[in-house]
Amino acid sequence: MAPILEIRNVSKFFGGLAANSDVSFTMEAGMIMGLIGPNGAGKTTLFNCITGYYPPSRGEVLFKGQSLNGLEPDKVCRLGMVRTWQKVRPLAKLSVLDNVMVGALCRTSSLKVAREIAMEQLRVVNMENKASFVAGGLPIGERKKLEVARALATQPELLLLDEVMGGLNPAESEEIIQLILAIKKGGTVTQMVIEHDMKAIMRISDRIVVLTSGEKLAEGTPEEIVNNPEVVRAYLGDFHA
Amino acid sequence: MKTILSPLKNPAGVSPVTSAMALAVLAALFLFPSFVESPYALHIMILLFLSTIQGEAWNIIGGYAGQYSVGHAAYFGAGAYTTMILMQSRQIPPWYGMIAGIIVALIVSLIIGAICFRLRGPYFVLASIAVAEIMRLAAMNLKELTNGAEGILTTEVPVFRIGETVITDFLTKVPFYYIGLTIALLTILATWLVQHSKLGYYLQAIREDQDAANSLGINLSIYKSTALAISAAFTSLAGSFYAIYIGFIDPPTVLALDISVQIVLICIIGGIGTIWGPVVGSLVLVPLSEALRSNLIAQVIFKAGLASEESGTGIFLKEHLAHAHALIYGILVVVVILFMPDGVLGWVKKLSAGKGRG
Repeated sequence: MAPILEIRNVSKFFGGLAANSDVSFTMEAGMIMGLIGPNGAGKTTLFNCITGYYPPSRGEVLFKGQSLNGLEPDKVCRLGMVRTWQKVRPLAKLSVLDNVMVGALCRTSSLKVAREIAMEQLRVVNMENKASFVAGGLPIGERKKLEVARALATQPELLLLDEVMGGLNPAESEEIIQLILAIKKGGTVTQMVIEHDMKAIMRISDRIVVLTSGEKLAEGTPEEIVNNPEVVRAYLGDFHA
Repeated sequence: MKTILSPLKNPAGVSPVTSAMALAVLAALFLFPSFVESPYALHIMILLFLSTIQGEAWNIIGGYAGQYSVGHAAYFGAGAYTTMILMQSRQIPPWYGMIAGIIVALIVSLIIGAICFRLRGPYFVLASIAVAEIMRLAAMNLKELTNGAEGILTTEVPVFRIGETVITDFLTKVPFYYIGLTIALLTILATWLVQHSKLGYYLQAIREDQDAANSLGINLSIYKSTALAISAAFTSLAGSFYAIYIGFIDPPTVLALDISVQIVLICIIGGIGTIWGPVVGSLVLVPLSEALRSNLIAQVIFKAGLASEESGTGIFLKEHLAHAHALIYGILVVVVILFMPDGVLGWVKKLSAGKGRG
């Protein structure tokens, strides 16, 4: 079976700065791929290149065997790949339900059908009792869950989560971890997760890619990554390695 | 934590009281000319309709899609000029002119959309102003087509007949009243339809966050252009209606920047991004501007005996208060914007919500 996502030698330059240089890896359907690296390693830039916000300066992204080069984010979403935002972007003046409906309308033109899909996704993230709240008034934990519900409502095959646990307390993080594992169990959605919480990423990932200074430093199972001296050096410096 | 229901979701059914009241208002509007003969009263009503059409039309691109166009005079002028030019030089009845005006406005909107929607926020606002100014200067200088600064005057509107039957000869304001009312109701209906459709959801998503909307599968340029096209079509209709009703147009009255600003104000005062905001805004602004223009304030001061009409102060007030109507109007608008950031409608809602809680 063809990999669901194939990243081939992707580079992204901003002027003279290489935010990503020559990054390659592939993802199989159904897996969870962890993407880690120190601040400024180019994780979010890579997300932006994959989902069409930036065209890669070099290289190619293939989704289900199809090249995404030159496609706008909305086309990418319609093909079945959706991302969440590190800095959450709720549609602040709309209700929670309407936020998720906007996602659901990607696959239907009927408001009634969209409302049903949206309520279903709100149940998945355990927020159905918040449906009528104004999205802009939610606390951070629920905003993060809303991002996930809205993304899921577009019925993606590949979900890219950009630091969904950032800024959450341990209980809220645990809820997100359970949510990510439940999505995996559902079997239809493949996930790529950017996360700084090492314990969490080790628990949920099937494979992990490590980026530093825009380059891929290592790739492997969580065990291989923790025992990789290069990775330890990148995070903690030479002294510990 | 407040549990405010989203403005998008109406409760499933409308209460019988509300529907009865709506029907009563509608009936009153249709019967109004049978009871009121004063041409001035009819004139004010027609201005109200015109303002409502302009406001509702702008609201679709400005209020729902959040793209603050301050160049809607371009579409207003496109409708007005197309209708008048066709009527004057080709003797084409204004009813066809209105449709031709819509087509011209749609073409203008597509061009403006293609250029300006690459820009966001204040840059879009500036570009929209620039395009309208280009249209105004073009109308000033293309003298063979537009008659330049002299404008176009029409003395009579051709008799409207279907077959041999004369429907109306347009000698009174009554036919204009009904045409204005019909177009105004149509624009309100159009806004309702937009709000209760996928388009409405997508436009509001674009207003709230363009990048997030884009990531959820919304093609920004298609949806923004659609909203602008709908908005332009109704604004052009307003322009055609204005031209036929007043019978005279020139660049300062239909293509100037203050027309664009006026259109935006209707929505800001009433409440942006709501169906009834532009109606409320018109109900506030039209009477206000008429009262100031006819120097009502000076009249009230004289009536109240605060100053005599013949005294020095009286003469001063009579001379200058009428000229200051733009100033007073401006100050009032600033006050409303400062103290009611969500418009009059939002302010009333907040008040009633406050009462409900207290």
